[in-house]
Amino acid sequence: MLTREQALALVIRRLAALGRELGKPALEKADAQTRLFGEAAALDSIGLVTLIADLEEDIRVATGKTVTLADEKAMSRLTSPFRRVDLLAEYVVEITRN
Amino acid sequence: MPLLTRITSYSAKPALVGAWGVVTYAELGGLIAKARGALAQLKLDRPTAFGLVGEHGPASTAWLLALAEAGHFVAPLSGNAAEHPAKLALINAQWIVAAEAKEAKLLPRVDEPSAHPLFAQLAAQGAAGLVLFSSGTSGAPKAMVQDFGKLLASYASRHASSLSVLALLGFDHIGGLNTLFGALAAGAPVVVPVSRAPADVAAAIARHRVAVLPASPTFLNLLLAAGVTADLTSLRVITYGTEPMPESLLARLKATFPQVRFIQTFGTSETGITLTVSPEPGSTFLRFEDLHLEWKVVDDELWLRSRTQIAGYLNASNERFTDDGWFRTGDKVEQGPNGTLRILGRMSEMINVGGEKLMPAEVESVVLGVPGVDDCRVRGEAHPLTGQTVAVDVVSFTTDQEALRSAIRIACRERLARHKIPTRVTFVPSVSGERMKKTR
Repeated sequence: MLTREQALALVIRRLAALGRELGKPALEKADAQTRLFGEAAALDSIGLVTLIADLEEDIRVATGKTVTLADEKAMSRLTSPFRRVDLLAEYVVEITRN
Repeated sequence: MPLLTRITSYSAKPALVGAWGVVTYAELGGLIAKARGALAQLKLDRPTAFGLVGEHGPASTAWLLALAEAGHFVAPLSGNAAEHPAKLALINAQWIVAAEAKEAKLLPRVDEPSAHPLFAQLAAQGAAGLVLFSSGTSGAPKAMVQDFGKLLASYASRHASSLSVLALLGFDHIGGLNTLFGALAAGAPVVVPVSRAPADVAAAIARHRVAVLPASPTFLNLLLAAGVTADLTSLRVITYGTEPMPESLLARLKATFPQVRFIQTFGTSETGITLTVSPEPGSTFLRFEDLHLEWKVVDDELWLRSRTQIAGYLNASNERFTDDGWFRTGDKVEQGPNGTLRILGRMSEMINVGGEKLMPAEVESVVLGVPGVDDCRVRGEAHPLTGQTVAVDVVSFTTDQEALRSAIRIACRERLARHKIPTRVTFVPSVSGERMKKTR
């Protein structure tokens, strides 16, 4: 299980690493309100898929749980967990709680 | 048979070198005569199906040629008979020949002759049959039957050579048989290693001064990764095929073996192994130089029609052959200038990321070039966001996987289009099989 703060730190740390890998320095300054995907967002679809894959690995290392963050259930939510950093962190908390 | 005449003419030259020592062409001729005698004693009144079980060696070679000469049907099978009940049943083998080194044992299996129409068709033409099985990575192995005499005749024009050749691919594989028949037709020594492990292969090369190594890119990558210390300076030619050659691997091979000429081969079990030339040294493009082979590209897929292609399958439909005899290889190719081609991978392995397509081989080539990566396999993974996404399994002994994952992505970003960068990088202890495993 992860707390909201832990999950937030995980997502922000992962975004920074991704920023270095993808040559997008703006990602290194991400915070809870950073838009991830959609209008005026930091990531394109492949960037988001990469972030999700790396986060799943981070969660496995941190909690020992194998989770799938992107599935039909996540995609069909009214408020997409992939829209903003804080929403994604809250989704991580929710999914690791089960 | 012209091949048998050639074998006799090479008399005292070494033919097969391995755990049994050195067997000369004259001795091989003697073993063929012995097999011929044993066959005569069976008093077979019709073409009969045989399972020939063993590995590359003097007795297995002798029996293969004796059975071809006598017009029988033979399935070479690696290992021992107990491993192959389904294959022996499928061809309805009446006899099993268990070959080991210079010795062979004949064992009766069933009484009833095989009634398969393909066998009947070959028998009516007075032709021997060779049965090879596909690797069966997708479903049951397919049993491919071809006119054995026609296949052997295709080696009749080989120039004599004394360059020893290593038999790496198995006795049950078209590539392994191509090595064997090609060397025998040329009067060259065939060196059989004790196993296919890189260290054993390297030891055999060093000990017997092997000049020609037919191998797969996967094996060559393992050979480099194993860091063998054996003296491989006798190598003159390395031929590679069965899967795409990553450009980064070819560059490393050329740096490691500056004295070696690298030649690409191309073959399918259905159409046989084909001679190709590279338009320039080090190119991953190839051009077919084979009068017996026609080729064309239809919707990016390579189609072949050859004189030595199979008569059909015992247990599958001929749907991959067109009515006018073209074989759809399932290989996706890129056409270069002057009739050259580059094999990109299997059509079925194509990855579609949100409508943009790529082949695993181009990504593997970049990933393999990243320091710290020993081997890798790229595959498509279903994803709700992009349909499919690029995943790579990486073998590495690094202690900092996080840093290597970043290095892989950065190398891919520098050299590949955006949609080709692996989104999932997974570290695994080993990757199975050949890169671009054939599913034909």
